[in-house]
Amino acid sequence: MSSLQGYVDRRVLLILQDGRVIVFPASKPNANPQGVMVGFDQKSNVVLSDSKERIYSIDAGVEEAPLGLYLVKGDMIVLIGELDDAVDQAVDLGTIHAEPIPPIRY
Amino acid sequence: MLIFSVFKTLTDQQVTVELKNDLSITGVLKSVDQFLNIRLDNIKVLDEARHPHMMAVKNCFIRGSVVRYVQLPSEHVDTQLLEDATRRESLAAVKR
Amino acid sequence: MLPLSLLNAAQNKPMLVELKNGETFNGHLVNCDNFMNITLREVYQTNTEGDRFWKLKECYIRGSTIKYLRVPDTLLDAVKEEQNRARDAGRGARGAFVSGNRGRGAPSRGGRGGRGGPMRGGRGRGRGV
Repeated sequence: MSSLQGYVDRRVLLILQDGRVIVFPASKPNANPQGVMVGFDQKSNVVLSDSKERIYSIDAGVEEAPLGLYLVKGDMIVLIGELDDAVDQAVDLGTIHAEPIPPIRY
Repeated sequence: MLIFSVFKTLTDQQVTVELKNDLSITGVLKSVDQFLNIRLDNIKVLDEARHPHMMAVKNCFIRGSVVRYVQLPSEHVDTQLLEDATRRESLAAVKR
Repeated sequence: MLPLSLLNAAQNKPMLVELKNGETFNGHLVNCDNFMNITLREVYQTNTEGDRFWKLKECYIRGSTIKYLRVPDTLLDAVKEEQNRARDAGRGARGAFVSGNRGRGAPSRGGRGGRGGPMRGGRGRGRGV
């Protein structure tokens, strides 16, 4: 699991097996430096602070729901991606209409 | 373990990973571990119009258990060598 | 920071637990172990659809059925502080007093939780609320 090390203290995007997308707020001017992945372990359980869920739908723009301090079990994780802040902030989420990511089907 | 080794020889090559949620992601293979968790750099999601969720993601860690397929660059896979290695490994398994 | 040190520090704190089948449990953490098996007290349980509720005095949740836990934001600073203090104490009193196995600074409470008590909810998949 050493490959998760590079994501500690970074802004990341998380995709879960049930299709949820969890991110950290595109930084406000004095962004809380904690808005990042705080830690992980062998089983790829991760701790996220200041997290938000991004809810996608076809008929409405993306909604962000604050989640706070979160501990996600490794079994639930599909993907962890590092966000490019500049790109993320340039996007107006309200204009994005997209299907939610489908859940994992074995 | 054999496939793990194969992936290790493919680091820095372009691969496409299809996930069990039907997302396909192309990127440069940066590393892989014994669970076949994969790290990709410079990623691009196929059909980005339909899946804008990862627009701002530059590199990612993919959990091995959710990978359905990995498309490998055929010119960088020595299938002959792989066949031989597979035979050798299964022979070793029988002896044990 | 290790996820388990956060969980250990969450004892007696309120938390929300969602299971893989979408059921949620709101309650105070009584105990936990390294498998993330947990016991909660004064629990409000909701079903996957979020339209039915139950109140439980205490419950045991098997770690493998958990999707995620949500804990109070303030816990992060508490754990960081505790880790700093433990590190400093370790530096100052090297060998002077050895306090059990406080390995990584987190208070090593949390025994083995329960003994495989009743597991609520199956393994379905769902979105909960």
